[in-house]
Amino acid sequence: MTAESQTTTWFDWAREQSDPKQAATKPEALDDLLVIDASFGNIGGLVCSSILAEMGARVIRVEPPGGDIARRFSPFGIEHAGTGLGYLAEGRNKHHITLNLADPEGQKLFTGLAGRADILIETYKPGVMDGWSIGYRQLRDLNPRLIYAALYTYGQFGPLSKSGRPGSEISNQAYSGLVYINGEPADDTGAEYTVPTKVGSWYGWYAEGLYAAYGILAALHFREETGRGQMVDVSGAECIMKFIDYNLGWYHMGGQVKERLGNYDPSVFPYTFIQCRDGHTFMAAYNDEAFRTLMEIIERPELADDPRFSSFAYRTQFENEKALQEALEGWSRQHPVDEVIQRVQDVISRKEGRAAAVVTGKVTRPMDSLQEQNWWDRGSFRKVQDPVYGEITLQGPVWKMTESPPRLKWACRPVGADNTFIYSTCLGIGGTALEELKARGIV
Amino acid sequence: MSAQDYFQWTEDLFDPDNAFFKPEALKGVRVLELCTRVFGPVTADLLADFGAEVIKIELPGVGDLMRYVAPRGFFWQNISPAFTHMNHNKLHVAIDIRRPEGGDLLKRLVARSDVLIENFRPGTMDRWGVGYRQLSEVNPRLVYQANSGFGQWSAYKDRPSYDATSQAMSGFSAITGFQGRTPLKIGVWIGDYTGALFATLGILGALHFRKRTGKGQLIDVSQGESLIRSLDWTWLYVHLTGQERRRSGNRDVSISPSGIFPCREGFVALAALDDNQFQGLCRAMNQADLAEDPRFKTLAARLGEENNPALYAIVAEWTARLNPEDVERLADRHGFAAHRVASVRDHYNDPHLRHRGAVQEFEDPLYGRVVEYGPGPKLSASPGRMKGIAKPVGFHNDHIFRNILNLGPDEIHELKEKRVIGAWDDRPGAKPPADWDGAKGTFF
Repeated sequence: MTAESQTTTWFDWAREQSDPKQAATKPEALDDLLVIDASFGNIGGLVCSSILAEMGARVIRVEPPGGDIARRFSPFGIEHAGTGLGYLAEGRNKHHITLNLADPEGQKLFTGLAGRADILIETYKPGVMDGWSIGYRQLRDLNPRLIYAALYTYGQFGPLSKSGRPGSEISNQAYSGLVYINGEPADDTGAEYTVPTKVGSWYGWYAEGLYAAYGILAALHFREETGRGQMVDVSGAECIMKFIDYNLGWYHMGGQVKERLGNYDPSVFPYTFIQCRDGHTFMAAYNDEAFRTLMEIIERPELADDPRFSSFAYRTQFENEKALQEALEGWSRQHPVDEVIQRVQDVISRKEGRAAAVVTGKVTRPMDSLQEQNWWDRGSFRKVQDPVYGEITLQGPVWKMTESPPRLKWACRPVGADNTFIYSTCLGIGGTALEELKARGIV
Repeated sequence: MSAQDYFQWTEDLFDPDNAFFKPEALKGVRVLELCTRVFGPVTADLLADFGAEVIKIELPGVGDLMRYVAPRGFFWQNISPAFTHMNHNKLHVAIDIRRPEGGDLLKRLVARSDVLIENFRPGTMDRWGVGYRQLSEVNPRLVYQANSGFGQWSAYKDRPSYDATSQAMSGFSAITGFQGRTPLKIGVWIGDYTGALFATLGILGALHFRKRTGKGQLIDVSQGESLIRSLDWTWLYVHLTGQERRRSGNRDVSISPSGIFPCREGFVALAALDDNQFQGLCRAMNQADLAEDPRFKTLAARLGEENNPALYAIVAEWTARLNPEDVERLADRHGFAAHRVASVRDHYNDPHLRHRGAVQEFEDPLYGRVVEYGPGPKLSASPGRMKGIAKPVGFHNDHIFRNILNLGPDEIHELKEKRVIGAWDDRPGAKPPADWDGAKGTFF
């Protein structure tokens, strides 16, 4: 062990080596790569290229001359300097240009870009790019090293890929099974909230984009070994399926269907959100020792030996979960949420091992999350001073890396803002020629 | 080229029956997994899907505590389905790395590995003398992935964190569900999975960097921060408008219409992303005039604070008279997005998913016929594949100790005696099937 590591704590060392504030002083992981993002009407494509761009890839974002419809997907239709908030969140670090891919001349220019690219991302329905002669089938002859990722709910082959049905964020959520298992169980009231419930954010697109980046980087590894590019077919629905806990296994092995249970849980309990006087907290203590600790905390030590709750298996019977939920809330409703969490911290700090496994987490509204200094220190939130969009708050890159840290460089660009720069430097098209292409609706 | 021609070509290009006749994308990447529960194991699983050799190192006896998380206490052939689906294609070895001899074995493995993934409380591995600082001296090319709830140097680094902690503290739950009700804990370990996906991306990025420079590195990924990153326009909206992002139930407030709608039986997802799709939907509803209604004519109008719920109500009234499959058929014909709210029953028998290998039936060498979700992205030249599900604690000890570490029988015996290495305890979740013959599924 070096002298340095003996005197510096792990935490100080890790912070010093990976603090995002130092990122700009270090090299980037993917800055040898050129990415073309030709996605349309799909935030997943933008997420995918954002990930690569955060790690240093140069991304050329290609929109139709009128702009991507995804610029219009925004809460209540709000736009900020002409762009919706969904697009603005994922426009980062990219050069935004326009090009009419349906026009033969536009296609020719596109092959000029794709011919030199390492990675191409598109989200049209299967066969559309191919019909324009700029699909993987045509481009691979021109550029055998190209990694071509196509994102679509039903994928590029198989019966439903040919259905002609549009894909969507919500279709990804629903097809994956995520919606089926999420939400409050049906009861006698028939209330509108006792239904399968979508995840509030665009998880259907975010998962699709992240998975696409994963497929691309795996393909990149293969290319570095063999020199061969390939096509990467990504269905957001199929990707999220892998995240539905034991869904398929339980059905195949035990004939059981995983159902929605609201804040209850079929495999561990307590593992739930509980109501406090002024909000909610997560509360878990599912092994026997931790459960006993929690019963001490709520001043009901006798419940640890109650036959309904005395073992892991008894506690996960649905009726017993409900009874336990009531017992927990009988206590927690009397206290503010911060006090409940502090009380747990105090007690478990005096416990060892499994008995200390009482775990909480304040259910925080976004406005309060934004007030949390820790997330700012960690670079999870970043204020960006953008020449076009002014001062805005964005979520920062996730990874803290010691050698090739990711970074957030700029927020977004208006439609076609980088046309002059990209067309002149990449294709030698100067100002006059560009004006002419513009007049003919090609850029 | 014609569309039909295109699909003939893709069917051939991706034919899942050819998967085992093609090379693997991550072949030759050796990954050491020192993880329990979900966040770490899923990270390694995503690498194993594409051919990385993952050696899962567990404590002798009990192993990964996730082995005992079983839905309603259900075990199948002594293994839980909650454990199998995040531990594919792995080699299982049991070493107590907290002991000096165990730490030495780990270092010998590290010297010959590319990636190490751990999800202990921050600083734990360092305290044991096998953290990144020590292991990078053994192997400077090592990519060391540290997964945790809040990060290695967060203000909350000492706080325990489960998946739902990250759902709660990121704001993910607060925006899911219906206004006036309790925020929803998502019905899956979404913070773990999302964090694992980010961790995998970091590892693959770092491997590319290493190829160019020869340098390994430490990567720190937090569950909560991964969820924050995935919350789309939330942060922009709150900062720019000063308004809270409220729960909006089953209706998207940023695309209209888009949401979950009730049917006569079951539920359907439905969306029209642009005016063309919306006009198609109106035709399907036999209400073509709606597309001309000034409240709904453009996406901007449909997103209006009053217009969006009004449109949702009109569509919901229509879907309530149909079954999900009727809406899907109309979506095919009229060109809008729709899909039934699918359960596992729908997945299990879905010809599309079966055809694509998204739902895969295969023969596990120990457990026999299993059905699992296949690798996520489909790669044409180096596809992922399913070789097996999780195994009992230390099931591949012999292979690792003899073939990789080249330990002799005496050394193995001595380490076993000292409980530095070992196999499974006699309990469901850890041990082989009751009728195991002592040989089935093993290799050497």
